[in-house]
Amino acid sequence: MQQLPFDTVLIANRGEIAARIIKTLRKLGLRSAIAYHEIDARTPAVSMADLAIQITGSTPIASYLDTGQIIAAADQARAGALHPGYGLLSENAEFARAVTDAGIAFIGPLPDTIELMGDKIRARNFVQSNGFPVAICVTEEDDPATFASRAQAMGAPLLVKPSAGGGGKGMRIVRDLNTLEAAIEQARSEAGRYFGDARLYAERYLEYPRHIEVQVLGDCLGNLVHLFERECSVQRRFQKIIEEAPSPALSQEVRARICDTAIRIARAANYRNAGTVEFIVSGDDFYFLEMNTRLQVEHPVTEMITGLDLVAEQIYAAAGRELAFSQSDIVSNGHAIELRLYAEAPERGYVPTTGKVLLLEYPNDVRIDSGIMQGQHITPAFDPMLAKIIVHSPSRMESALRAHRAVRELVLLGCETNADLLARIVSDEAFLGGHFHVGYLEQNPHLAAGNFAAGMSAFLASAALLTRPVRDSADAVPELHSALGNWRN
Amino acid sequence: MYHSFEVDGVDHTLWLSASRHGYRLHLRDEVIAPVAFTQRSESSGILTIAGQSEPVRFVIEGELIHLHIRGTTRTLRYIDPLRSHAAGNNGACPLVARAPMPGMVVAIAVSPGDSVSAGTALMMIESMKLETIIRSPQDGIVERIHVKENENFEHDAALVTLSKEGF
Amino acid sequence: MQRIGSAADVDSQEFRRNDLHNRQLAAELKVRQRSARFERPEKDFERLRRQNKLFVRNRIAALLDPETPFLELSTLAANKAYNGEVPGAAQVVGIGIVAGREVIIHADDSSVKSGAWYPLSVKKIVRALDIAIENRLPVVHLCDCAGGFLPLQAEFFADRYHAGRILRNQSILSKMGVPQVAIVMGHCTAAGAYVPALSEYNIVVEGTGAIFLGGPPVVKAATGEQVSAEELGGALMHTSVSGTGDYFATSEIHAIAIARNIVARFHRPAKSCINRVAPEPPVYDASELYGIIPKDARGQFDMREIIARLVDGSRFDEYQPHYATSLVCGFARLYGYQVGIVANNGVLFGDSALKGAHFIQICDKNRTPLLFLQNVTGFMVGREYERRGITKDGAKLIMAVSSASVPKFTIICNSSHGAGTYAMSGRAFDPRFVFSWPNSQISAMGAEQAAGVLTHVKARQLARTGGRLSEQELAGIREPVLEEYRERSSAYYATSELWDDGILDPVDTRTALAIALSASLNAPIDAPQYGVFRL
Repeated sequence: MQQLPFDTVLIANRGEIAARIIKTLRKLGLRSAIAYHEIDARTPAVSMADLAIQITGSTPIASYLDTGQIIAAADQARAGALHPGYGLLSENAEFARAVTDAGIAFIGPLPDTIELMGDKIRARNFVQSNGFPVAICVTEEDDPATFASRAQAMGAPLLVKPSAGGGGKGMRIVRDLNTLEAAIEQARSEAGRYFGDARLYAERYLEYPRHIEVQVLGDCLGNLVHLFERECSVQRRFQKIIEEAPSPALSQEVRARICDTAIRIARAANYRNAGTVEFIVSGDDFYFLEMNTRLQVEHPVTEMITGLDLVAEQIYAAAGRELAFSQSDIVSNGHAIELRLYAEAPERGYVPTTGKVLLLEYPNDVRIDSGIMQGQHITPAFDPMLAKIIVHSPSRMESALRAHRAVRELVLLGCETNADLLARIVSDEAFLGGHFHVGYLEQNPHLAAGNFAAGMSAFLASAALLTRPVRDSADAVPELHSALGNWRN
Repeated sequence: MYHSFEVDGVDHTLWLSASRHGYRLHLRDEVIAPVAFTQRSESSGILTIAGQSEPVRFVIEGELIHLHIRGTTRTLRYIDPLRSHAAGNNGACPLVARAPMPGMVVAIAVSPGDSVSAGTALMMIESMKLETIIRSPQDGIVERIHVKENENFEHDAALVTLSKEGF
Repeated sequence: MQRIGSAADVDSQEFRRNDLHNRQLAAELKVRQRSARFERPEKDFERLRRQNKLFVRNRIAALLDPETPFLELSTLAANKAYNGEVPGAAQVVGIGIVAGREVIIHADDSSVKSGAWYPLSVKKIVRALDIAIENRLPVVHLCDCAGGFLPLQAEFFADRYHAGRILRNQSILSKMGVPQVAIVMGHCTAAGAYVPALSEYNIVVEGTGAIFLGGPPVVKAATGEQVSAEELGGALMHTSVSGTGDYFATSEIHAIAIARNIVARFHRPAKSCINRVAPEPPVYDASELYGIIPKDARGQFDMREIIARLVDGSRFDEYQPHYATSLVCGFARLYGYQVGIVANNGVLFGDSALKGAHFIQICDKNRTPLLFLQNVTGFMVGREYERRGITKDGAKLIMAVSSASVPKFTIICNSSHGAGTYAMSGRAFDPRFVFSWPNSQISAMGAEQAAGVLTHVKARQLARTGGRLSEQELAGIREPVLEEYRERSSAYYATSELWDDGILDPVDTRTALAIALSASLNAPIDAPQYGVFRL
């Protein structure tokens, strides 16, 4: 196999994805360099990287968004390529351009593709104009003055969304049209705050649809394949927490149709590298939702069922290599589930939690993509995702059982996590039966609430026995009086 | 007086008592016996509770006890009775720095409104041919200075009144 | 050790009659105790709430280690005095476990007359501190007292065992190295001010606690000075200015937490070591005591039946079982502790006294605490007995009882009369604890006998002046005498006057004795030493 045109890759990201990318770089015999903010000094990626270059900023997140510093770091590391991971600058066309202009290979699609697909309204219009199904929608841009009345005309329920951005931020469900004006105002203000772009659009809100996406992969020679779908319907506040592949909801016929649609959309966008086409699925119908022009958080489930290393494929594509396989070579094998471990308290409305990781033990027979290590402080500076647990088994039921065992074996002390919720979901009847949709957690609040009292006595017993004053006061009582107990005359 | 642990904002009172066959755990509405904990390593052990053995992972961080049992993680906080019961209304009363003996003010080091910590020098006095520094008995804000430089005072005279901050 | 084979027939009519009667007595005791402990006019509870004070029972509950016993003493003190208006003599006293340590708790009950000290209150506190001295038990004082009840000052102020004795006993305790901690939860005025002052440690509760020799009204009357209680002797002043107070507490519960912390640090001297094995419950059920104790105080019963329901495994190693059988002596175990039991099975004769005196000396030499089970109408009288020297023999028993160094415990199971009361380690002989059963009677003579004597004396006086009394007139003299005599020899009267440390439901006796026995071992046991036995 021919030599890659670069020997060092700079990772412009942090956390679990940075560590995961380094693993592939090592496998490929490439040097890894990482640009990091001081707050991340004690994280796996920084300790694993061959070269770690500190960057600074007014906030930790600002430093990771600082194009100049990152390109300077790439120069310093003599990096021939840059992997942006997900989030942060990964879908920033300007950044991709600046990287390319600096003579560094950007591991991702072309900047123009990012520009086209990164803006939701533009992407939607593009997809619609190419004859693919999209959800009914009105955009503010078309005519700001009539936006509200056009939205109203679609009828409730509606979803008001920012044109830019993602991750559920700034989204508002409107079930009562009387609250539409207020919802638009709030969404606009949030969109402005999060993305610096207050443009909105409104679409018909399907009450309980599924969220299914298709992984695509292309080379710079125009070869494109899909790597099947991922089921991403288990969400809280529009953010995915459990993903799996394949989806238990699709018939072979619909699966074939949705994957084919994804390929055709990607081809229309002249897509290269790894990307994801997201759909809203209701029954046998599906609508284009958006395209993510980067590696997804949940890419490991696809890796598990296809046996491919998506980061390696990204690097090969960026290096200009031709895809080493064709669509017919790709076979889906078994079932994979990914659980996202978050620093948050589902019992208290999913508020983010913080703390020092005092003890960290991962189960050893499953894949763990971890962004944390023992001794690390979990701060509110970033997204609260700590790690992902990925299991792969011949059947969905076996995967669910394994996922359940794995998440219960995982020990993380010092910072509250959503591990209990994950365990409850993967053993929940509706989940096991495959009967769920994006409103699943909202409709089943008992899953987030948990059973507060369950097993409390074991905790109290352990705490009591581990607390010196409690033990001392028990030991101090003379044997006779202890035996007599609460006697009164 | 029972021991108390706080879990997720809820207080759980309990008491442990010893018996010939190990400890008994007295909870609000049940008694569990015997209970025992065998430490295996710095952060692991086996809890025996009502005849069952449970592996436990734990970290003790001051008054916090982080536990992982049967796949569930909880953090319990031991409530020190001295500290928790002390946290009452003791912020209300102003504190006065008084003269330990009769004497004369040499120099005043603070002004009303100054924020002082426990131990901050408030003024220097002279008494029995010795200079003595009057220090703040605790954190607070200087509310009033009762004496002027070169002024004489009697034993136990109020010198500086402090008010508590942030209570 | 041999197990006692009970001869009691639980199905017999007599047993069932006794059982019914004694269960009623036990129920009555519980009702009276509950009333003395908890029943107060609502306005008194209301006042406590207004003052932001806890009821004394709640204070004690918070002070004690949970899941440990509390042996309350003299619950019914003063139940026959002051028109019954001062339940418990406005004091709660008992032995409990605080931070693992056996302590005496002395608490003023401010729900009763604002915790004022009545003559019997003083007697109860002095007794509590005597117990502390004799058994070297640390003391926790919960002070909340309005001062002495002045109209009755002549009965509690000046004499040797009056209020001054409280302060004297506190000082002696301190001298002996037995620590005390006082929580000032109300006003400690006049002599009461010295209770916290004489304690090694004290804690003053902000707002409600205050210590001063004269309260604000007294100060106003004496000097015209106007001063608030808080300013005059409040928590802040005493803990930051006068040094009379040690610890400032923001609430009663905070103060109790501080006190528990202090007690936890007390030195724990090794207890006196006596023969002990693992405890074992009696084979016979304690509730059968109800069927054995006779309904009529004059009824006879075998004290071994009582012993069988008190001691470990119902095992009793009897000493001289065939000699002087009216006094049963022998060894048994109580919660594993070896004890020597001296119990009446009838009137005391000369040989009973000799047997008892000998047995007591054995126990003393052997470091075995003594348990006296009283059912005694006295020593035998009559020419023959006097000629055989019954008084001389009785003196030997009294000498042995008085001089024994091991802890003694006395239960008044039924009758306790005459010199029998004394020879069987009555109150005057410093047993560490005296408990009565509800059916018991204590007096110089039995009521019938006494009424007979008194009536006879009256009749003789009248005869001297030439009068003669009809049967009816005799009965008229006899009945009131008998009535008053009965009243004043009842267990309730005895406990009202603190002649004992409380009335026990018979089924509680075993546990109460175990707690008392354990407490007694905090004091060292002196070497045996006796006076002159009249031989």
